[in-house]
Amino acid sequence: MTPCAVTTGFFTLGKCGQMAVAGCPGCGRALCADHIAEGGLCPECAASRNQFGHPASAAAYRRRRYRHSSSSAYQDTLWYTSFDAFDRAAFDPHAGADQDYLDDGDDALVDS
Amino acid sequence: MTGHRGHRAAYIAFDRFPSAKGSAVHIRHMAAELFERYRGGLLCVLGGPDLPAYQREGDVEIVRFTEVVPNLLDRAQAFSAWVAEQLAPYHDTLELCHVRDPWSALPALGTGARLVYEANGLPSIELPYAWPHVAPTTLDKVRELEGHCLTAAGAVVVPSYVIKEAVTARGVEPDRVVLIPNGADPVPADLPRPAAAPGRYLIYVGAVQPWQGVDVLLRAFARLADLPDLTLVICSSVAPSRTRRLRGLAERLDLRTHWEHMLPHDEVAAWLTHAELSVAPLTATPRNLEQGCSPIKVWESMAAGTAVVASDLPVIREVLGDCGRLVPPDRPAELARAIRVLLEYPDLGRELGERSRGRVRGWQHARDQLSGVYDRVTAH
Repeated sequence: MTPCAVTTGFFTLGKCGQMAVAGCPGCGRALCADHIAEGGLCPECAASRNQFGHPASAAAYRRRRYRHSSSSAYQDTLWYTSFDAFDRAAFDPHAGADQDYLDDGDDALVDS
Repeated sequence: MTGHRGHRAAYIAFDRFPSAKGSAVHIRHMAAELFERYRGGLLCVLGGPDLPAYQREGDVEIVRFTEVVPNLLDRAQAFSAWVAEQLAPYHDTLELCHVRDPWSALPALGTGARLVYEANGLPSIELPYAWPHVAPTTLDKVRELEGHCLTAAGAVVVPSYVIKEAVTARGVEPDRVVLIPNGADPVPADLPRPAAAPGRYLIYVGAVQPWQGVDVLLRAFARLADLPDLTLVICSSVAPSRTRRLRGLAERLDLRTHWEHMLPHDEVAAWLTHAELSVAPLTATPRNLEQGCSPIKVWESMAAGTAVVASDLPVIREVLGDCGRLVPPDRPAELARAIRVLLEYPDLGRELGERSRGRVRGWQHARDQLSGVYDRVTAH
């Protein structure tokens, strides 16, 4: 069974986990029947398009707005990004796909 | 001169500049348009060996991020914070910021200036190639960050329809996405042959990430071993250390190869001009199929009048049209066959080269289109 990957919860956030019946055309994540918002999108993609018909979209929108407004209020450009130690560990120098990448050129996020 | 009194424009990129990579060519032309329009400005880029941390070129101030931060994500965020510091003195005067990635866009958004986001790639798609342990949840965060910055931009400039699709899938209104294909300036017909060039050669120009398909090219070239006077020239835009594995593969396959590393950009045209064929063996990966690109190697081969054999991908069709030979991606045998056909029928190769030369538009065309985007963004 593919579980629904929409973030739910109030004090403790987690994944919905119900059986998925569709994929979000915006981001591709699996969705259960309860979390399909306007246009077949997941609530977060719907919120990013200013569509708040689904209750979970409003929650996603509020999370996004809070992070953005607090980032401006504290004049901290990094406040918006919520990377934690787990996220960072994957970018340690020894975690690269090929050490050859690191010799002189891991200086760009997009290597195009 | 605006200079120290207050910059009105800033170009910010988490890229080393200058460098031998295609991104540097892009930055050179796009930043030139921005700074010409605003009679100067601030260029914030990554530093590197032999590059000064501070430079002043007329009305343009160049500042380079030189801090050593081993973790890539930490480095990107340290860059963001550093850019915010660089921009702080100009909050009252900045009118337009031009960025290439989310970590450059975040501090630019804090200035209140108009934002033009040049999306040549999307970190949420490219990062896993170099950092395979990245969790899907982390990529979701990167993707959300991209979406936030892209939707906040006054205009998003993309070089390919495929990237345009990827950007609109992140919530950007299609009418704010402007397609400005890359270009290449005309190459003089009488460029002298490089002294180190072998007799007859095929050429590959560019970087060597897995999605470039250089290994496919090497395996295809192994099938052309019966052509004794033919050499494969690889002009790598990265250092020899990063081509170690590919050179090892070439040795195991016993290929006649000639490697050039990090050639200055103005020397590449001569190598392209005197090649029999130029090859762009891009692979069918999400980076090329979902994110998209507009390979400068193909544009420059066309400008040099050299026939191109390339993978049959939407991003290549956009650039090459019917002016090159397309082959299924990731198929060394098919690639070798197409190369052999063009070598056996040189008139066909010459005709393709001539036609492709006529199809290329110079960088001035791209700059004119970008100027139109600046007009639109600043008018609102």
